Amino acid sequence: MSYYDIDAILTDSQKLPCTFELEVPGLGILEGNPGENIKAGTRIDLPLWLGEMLSIGARLGTSRLVTLDLPSALSERVMNALKADPRTVELRSLAPHFYSLSERILELFEEEEMVEVLSNTFKKRSAEIADHAHNPQGALGQGADFLRGLDETERQLFRVAHDSAKETRIWAGEAKKK
Amino acid sequence: MYGEHGNKLVQHAKRTQALTHLPPYQTELVRAVAREVRDLDRDVAHLLSQFEGSFNPSQEPAIACALLVDHLCMRRNKRCLLAYHRVRAEKLEELCWTGVDLLEQQLPTAEEGAGGTSGQGMGGHVAMSSASGNHSSLSPEEEEYFRQYSDLLAAYKGQWTDIDLTGSLEPPKDLFIDVRVLKDAGEIQTEYGVINLTKNSQLYVRQGDVERLIAQGFLERLG
Repeated sequence: MSYYDIDAILTDSQKLPCTFELEVPGLGILEGNPGENIKAGTRIDLPLWLGEMLSIGARLGTSRLVTLDLPSALSERVMNALKADPRTVELRSLAPHFYSLSERILELFEEEEMVEVLSNTFKKRSAEIADHAHNPQGALGQGADFLRGLDETERQLFRVAHDSAKETRIWAGEAKKK
Repeated sequence: MYGEHGNKLVQHAKRTQALTHLPPYQTELVRAVAREVRDLDRDVAHLLSQFEGSFNPSQEPAIACALLVDHLCMRRNKRCLLAYHRVRAEKLEELCWTGVDLLEQQLPTAEEGAGGTSGQGMGGHVAMSSASGNHSSLSPEEEEYFRQYSDLLAAYKGQWTDIDLTGSLEPPKDLFIDVRVLKDAGEIQTEYGVINLTKNSQLYVRQGDVERLIAQGFLERLG
């Protein structure tokens, strides 16, 4: 992950719920009331880049600034759905950068089971993605719904799988170059 | 909420990555982000001014938190700005290598406004008046970057006169091809003498001679 990576920056802009632990003057703007104070115990959704650093500040010995919660994209409900069948969940509507978001979240939380569920999800879905990439059925095929629900990482995977299959066909002389 | 403008900028950058051309420079957004940074900086200075240089974070956790938020927002905005410009700079370099002459392309629109700038024919660098920047999808700084990068690339290529580094990697099937002239490009010198490229004429020429002109959009390959 590089400083200039656009996808990393977009991952960081996804929100997660935070609870403020102390009253801070002038921060009402985060809640949408500029000029006012933010009260202890207020729950607001902050982007990852802000929430993460505020919660890490808490670990350095000073009193806690905010406590983090799991974002809704990684809630118990979603985990259960993924356990049941990874292929029917629309990851994109949960979070456009679902996997990179979970990667970042798992740096902050201890969730052994979630790691398990997510890597399983990725494996199962990758196989499905590869299938669709190698056997295109067009935009109206039965796979269209599934493909619409791919998150950014999976989209890139799909593109790579699709392009490499095409390149191989060209190399083998079965298909013609444009 | 802070950082919204920066976010929009990065989304623009994301879209830019997928495109083959360069969309217009988001002057307004860039300015908005810079303005936000200035506001935040003023805010920090204001918060700190009450302490006269002896600020102790552990005594004033609330102020420290506000400062931290301000600082993080500034840092975030900086990252967004840098990433946006880098994506565009990389795009410009790519266009340079593929031989698309951006400054040349925008000439027709530039001429309406500036009037003075005339097409200098093919290849090379065209002297542009700064007024044409109004119509361009590049910021003045980007135009400068593009020009200087082209110069660098030309100087680099100049070291090997027998190989065209930006030429096509496809081995040609025929030495000669049919081309149609899309724009007047004047006369060009080739091994077989001078060809006159007048609009809408059709010619049978050596591929190596006209490759650059096809890339620049003066000629269209037929068949």
